Amino acid sequence: MEITYFEAVLLHCLNRLKGERTIFSLFHLFHGKKSAQTIQDAHFYHLTPFFHSFPEIEREKLIETAIHLQSSGLLILTAADTWMVTKSGKMKADRILKAYPIPQYHDGLKYQHITRVFWERLSLLVQVCSNLLYEQKDYIPIQNRQETLQWVKSFLLHRKEKRRDISERLYRELLYCFERAPALNPTLFILRLTGHQRIGLTPIQAAEVTGMDYFRFQLEFTNLLHFLLKTIEEQGSSLPILSAVSNIGRAAAPFTLSAEKTFSLLNKGYQPDEIAAMRNLKLNTIEDHIVEIALNAPKFDISKYVQRKKEEKIIEAASNTTVRKLKEIRSFVPEASYFEIRLVLARSGQKWN
Amino acid sequence: MELMEALRVYTSHKEFRPGQKRTISSVLGGKHTISMLPTGTGKSLCYQLPGYMRKGSVLIVSPLLSLMHDQVEQLRAAGEKRAVALNSFLPLEEKNRAMASLEGYKFIFISPEMLGIPMVTARMKELEIALFVVDEAHCISQWGYDFRPDYARLGDVRENLGNPITLALTATATSEVRADIARQLHLDDWEEIVYSIDRPAIAISVEQVGRDKKLSRVIELAESLEGPGIIYFSSKRKAEEIAILLRQHGMNAMSYHGGLEQENRILIQQQFVKGQLDIICATSAFGMGINKQDVRFILHYHMPLDIESYVQEIGRAGRDNGKSIAILLYSPGDEQLSFGLAALELPDDIQISSFFSLAKEIGMKPGDCKTYEKQLVPSAGLTEIQWRLLCDFLLRWKQEKMGAIEEKFSLYVEQRRKVKSNKIKDMLAFISAESCKRVFLLKFFGENADISKETCCSSCGFSYLSFVKKIKNSSRNYHVTWQEELASLLLRR
Repeated sequence: MEITYFEAVLLHCLNRLKGERTIFSLFHLFHGKKSAQTIQDAHFYHLTPFFHSFPEIEREKLIETAIHLQSSGLLILTAADTWMVTKSGKMKADRILKAYPIPQYHDGLKYQHITRVFWERLSLLVQVCSNLLYEQKDYIPIQNRQETLQWVKSFLLHRKEKRRDISERLYRELLYCFERAPALNPTLFILRLTGHQRIGLTPIQAAEVTGMDYFRFQLEFTNLLHFLLKTIEEQGSSLPILSAVSNIGRAAAPFTLSAEKTFSLLNKGYQPDEIAAMRNLKLNTIEDHIVEIALNAPKFDISKYVQRKKEEKIIEAASNTTVRKLKEIRSFVPEASYFEIRLVLARSGQKWN
Repeated sequence: MELMEALRVYTSHKEFRPGQKRTISSVLGGKHTISMLPTGTGKSLCYQLPGYMRKGSVLIVSPLLSLMHDQVEQLRAAGEKRAVALNSFLPLEEKNRAMASLEGYKFIFISPEMLGIPMVTARMKELEIALFVVDEAHCISQWGYDFRPDYARLGDVRENLGNPITLALTATATSEVRADIARQLHLDDWEEIVYSIDRPAIAISVEQVGRDKKLSRVIELAESLEGPGIIYFSSKRKAEEIAILLRQHGMNAMSYHGGLEQENRILIQQQFVKGQLDIICATSAFGMGINKQDVRFILHYHMPLDIESYVQEIGRAGRDNGKSIAILLYSPGDEQLSFGLAALELPDDIQISSFFSLAKEIGMKPGDCKTYEKQLVPSAGLTEIQWRLLCDFLLRWKQEKMGAIEEKFSLYVEQRRKVKSNKIKDMLAFISAESCKRVFLLKFFGENADISKETCCSSCGFSYLSFVKKIKNSSRNYHVTWQEELASLLLRR
């Protein structure tokens, strides 16, 4: 049986989960759900590149695919909604992923919160520049969110150089970025751009033109955007236009909004129980936030919440259990709370990466 | 200023199209006007020009969000930045910004449900309204094929705004519907400007095909007819399926429907307008507000639910007056799908009675229906459209007792059901008519029909040959390098 690219990715991810999580954890991962649990799992199972990788996939479709793979003998059902990959399943997936490796720059966990706005601004800026170049005023903007339109307008208004020069600089910056990574295929990005007398392709069209599976195209396309974002991060000073486009203002740490509030209160010196009372939330929720923060802010100090000795014990217990289940770890360290275990795992998950 | 001169000063048009000048003169002469102009004759000019020639803002009530958006985009593209669209989809922040600076806008597009909000109406009252426009005015009539309950309140809103000069625009309204428009808008005296719905450039064909032959026939037609063209479907899924099939046959086709992401919607629409895309497989969501002159064929894979929609949809062909063709494919039994779709829009007796008995049980007041939505809608098994209808009804009659409202609503639903089913029967009569199809349509809209055309319709007889593609399209070449593609976008040599 031939399997699709998406099926190969699904097998690959299920294989990483080793039957320890239900398929819904992958659903949340593909959708980029910003919950402590999903983020934590992404780290534990080394699935961070897949965070927010297939936001369009539907729950039913995911289950349907798993059942289909099961009936072809590539998966076996081990518990409710939980599948393990068979040997032949792993072989099939590996063969496809060897031919089409997981794109290396895709990093939903890091960039998910800015990717969309970045693309909206960039694609609109290219369209506007291209039309300015040809002195064409009569066209329909390809993006229609007021904020995006406003941003491009004010960006162009505040640039001192001639319109034509902005266009050329933007060209040079994009060229510079893409030429640094000869293994990438920038065509996927260029095909989707709109300019003077040329309307960009939709993802379905671009995938067909390049002969790619739709899901692979989407992943590769986002990969290019994340590559640009990474390059801008590293070389911002020589990429002034792209830096401005990517300067979206949201904090770099991709916390949930609620965790962000907790973070700032912690920084002001409040204790978790005080924060819970102030925000009218359960202590559990605040602890979830702290785990999320530990996952995403490498400099966050967890020693306030768990003693050093306990931390070491937990790490030892975790490395002795193959199954990453909290219950099992706790049976080795009964004096630790679940919160403390999760916190330590969150931090050490960071280190393993 | 003389009208011709105004046209040149304010717009890029050189001359008026049929009906525009009379409509504009009537409005400028201070008369309420109901204007029925065929699709593609530039209805928007009829309020644009008076807007420029009069002080104050033009308020345009528009039923469809997508249409509203397109109209604003087109005005902006033509250099008019003082246009704004107010609807419930606008993020709160943008809405507030727009509401605060309304005086700065010449053209304010608004959805009927927004106009129903007292705060919004109050704000509108502070404006100087040069003209009150009701676009797609047939939506106002209960006899119309596209009746919107939201529209039924427009008469009150109009009076509340101080009875401004009103222009009701529609492309398809029988004389019965036009009379109802005036009544619903509380117009006491008005001018009616009616142009023939006939589009001589479009040949009309109805083809009977066996159920199992329809698919291959649509592929055959799409492949051989001179494009660009639109194929209409009544389901998203079918539109998508056939678009994929056509692409597999080497055609340049995409589907377009309400389920698409906004960005993809704009891309596909613009590709079609710019000639990059040959065929659109669409639901009725596509077409309104699209400005494309050279559409050569319209295919109907499913029959429309009424003759008015059919006339609107085929009217998207041949706006350049070039020879075009409309072909409706009919398989015996197709009407079952139509009846089914029509029924889905209205709740049935069981749904109604279970809703009202549940509502009584929990002691709901009609004005609070939105609070109980999550509780009542799933238990009564109402679809989104059905709930919108019912909710609107409850709010409109909120001072009455639930029992009385239930009775009223049942009667109303019964009446709508009849209207809809009659419309489908009219459509069937058109399909099976052995006499001239064009005459049938004209008579339907109460026009005198006296036609003798060479290429008229499938009843009068004509050959498809003259609509067949002369040269096969060559698909676009993507074999240049990405560097060259990027340069062609951003460098001018």
